[in-house]
Amino acid sequence: MSDSLLSIRDLSITYHTQGRAVPAVRRVSLDIEKGGSLGLAGESGCGKSTLANSILRLLPAGTEVTGHITLDGKDVLGLTPGGLRAVRWTAGAIVFQGALHALNPVQTVGDQIAEPMSLHRTVADDDAAKVRVVELLRRVGLPAARAESFPHELSGGQRQRVLIAMALACDPQLLIADEPTTALDLMVQAQVLALLEDLKEERDLTLLFITHDLSVLTYACERLAVMYAGRIVEEGPAWEVFENGSHPYTRALAAAFPTIGDEGSRMAPSGLGGDPPTPGDLPGGCPFHPRCPLAHDACLPAEPELRVSGEARRAACVLV
Amino acid sequence: MRAGVTPLVEVEDLHVHFGAARAVDGASVHVLPGEVLALVGESGSGKTTLIRAIQGLQKPTSGTIRVDGAGGSSPGKVQTIFNPSVQMVFQDPTGALNPRQTIYEIVAEGLRIKGEAGGEAEQVWAALSRAGLRPPERFFPMYPHEVSGGQRQRVVIAGAMVMEPRLLLADEPVASLDASIRGEILALMRRLVDETGLAILVVTHDLGLAWNIADRVAVMYLGRIVETGPTEQILEDPRHPYTRALLSVVPETREMEQQILTGEIPDPARIPPGCRFHPRCPLLQSGILPETISSRCPTDDPGPTPLEAVSAAACWAVTSGAGPSALWASPG
Repeated sequence: MSDSLLSIRDLSITYHTQGRAVPAVRRVSLDIEKGGSLGLAGESGCGKSTLANSILRLLPAGTEVTGHITLDGKDVLGLTPGGLRAVRWTAGAIVFQGALHALNPVQTVGDQIAEPMSLHRTVADDDAAKVRVVELLRRVGLPAARAESFPHELSGGQRQRVLIAMALACDPQLLIADEPTTALDLMVQAQVLALLEDLKEERDLTLLFITHDLSVLTYACERLAVMYAGRIVEEGPAWEVFENGSHPYTRALAAAFPTIGDEGSRMAPSGLGGDPPTPGDLPGGCPFHPRCPLAHDACLPAEPELRVSGEARRAACVLV
Repeated sequence: MRAGVTPLVEVEDLHVHFGAARAVDGASVHVLPGEVLALVGESGSGKTTLIRAIQGLQKPTSGTIRVDGAGGSSPGKVQTIFNPSVQMVFQDPTGALNPRQTIYEIVAEGLRIKGEAGGEAEQVWAALSRAGLRPPERFFPMYPHEVSGGQRQRVVIAGAMVMEPRLLLADEPVASLDASIRGEILALMRRLVDETGLAILVVTHDLGLAWNIADRVAVMYLGRIVETGPTEQILEDPRHPYTRALLSVVPETREMEQQILTGEIPDPARIPPGCRFHPRCPLLQSGILPETISSRCPTDDPGPTPLEAVSAAACWAVTSGAGPSALWASPG
């Protein structure tokens, strides 16, 4: 795809801890076209945050990364430190989960929003930065006076808005949102999702949205990719994947969040037995087979590759 | 009405104030044996304070809490007696478990405090088995960090169940768990209710959880129950505009037109006059209410839902008999 803003090819990421190699991401390929949105779903430890952080090379030193990441035409893994600084905040920016620790507790939120602007000299001087901070705060639905507040004076929803304002400071093309609504209430979550949707329209942003809640992703994104044990196991148009998953794991994740009014799920919570595998100690064959309700002999010999499972859809299951 | 069944818990006109902040402000609610009641609402609605008061962890300012028919706390008195028939399951299983204790010791601890003599190992074994940790003896010597997140929440539930409680208070029991594990824990909770006659009062902002396991739902806003009723009624045909707005933003209900409320829940030290929801009420803002109703909302308090209510909504538009369905069907 030539119109991709983000293109990931054959990406593998391995952490080395206490002499052990822990593969967190394994041979992942993904594209997001300019102005598009992709939701990345999966459980804790599936590698989704590692994948997100690798796009701006925010991984700990000593992490082994192979493959290719192309963001806005630049080869991210080959960039010099200077080149990398130019990409961060401007080509791509991350909205972190709005916990207190994502912000500096002893700096006003206005100063924190202005920081990437002064680093990148996108504003002429401090006064221009102040004007821009107020503009950004208003845009994310906060009063200008909030610039003088410290993070602990804000609610969880307000902190999340500050983090979004900060990510927008240098007009990035790609916005990576890592669990931006997980710690929030239903109503505040809806407010934040609506804000992201408006911003995406208005600024022609490309969005990579990460959470374990498939229903949120389906609501917020055009396409959906499901990760399990470091690999993409299914990808396709969001509603189709959510409502009619090709991979048994996708179907289990989708069923975990019942549709209110659906008689089938009334008094019938749906879960998946067992626990996600430990990276570094994956079961042989299809790594999902020990938990899969449909597992049979064909799942054991080799790990299934992604293959076409419908129009613009791929899934990695022998039954596809 | 309740048809002669004695409630396990009756909370009547409960107030819990922290200085000027009225965290719980006249809430009344009951739970029957063998049922799951979901208490839903935004952060800051007072849900957690309410269940902490039932557990005896929070001193009520006024009102009564009757647990298991008799006794309970008298107004303003902290319930210091260890009440084994009420047990609590917290949100974060990792924080709730002592990392230096084995699973056996964790589950046995309540029995030891209660002073139960003999049969400890059998009771721990049975509680672990009931919580789905099988074979139980395999888990006896293990530490919390040696089991998965889902299993840790099962250990918390086993530690509660070993006391043979009649009521389980659960505060967001699956919010910190992964999607695939969530269903397993909810299924376990429902099974315990069906098999042992236990009652569960579960606090959550997750309406899908209520759909999955709750018999009834009570919706809390700024310290009060504003709507209560059977789960199907509350989630499929809500009457209070607040319930309606909450439901409209659940990502799974895409058929409903979204009503995103502006701002966050007000400061409980400054509860608005009249109907406490009126400054955020989409129904009032829509302008479709007749003057006879809309003039009351900012000045007259519709009052809390009554203790015995099986189905009630504290909203002038509903109680005036204006026909809420007709109002909602109107454009706007």
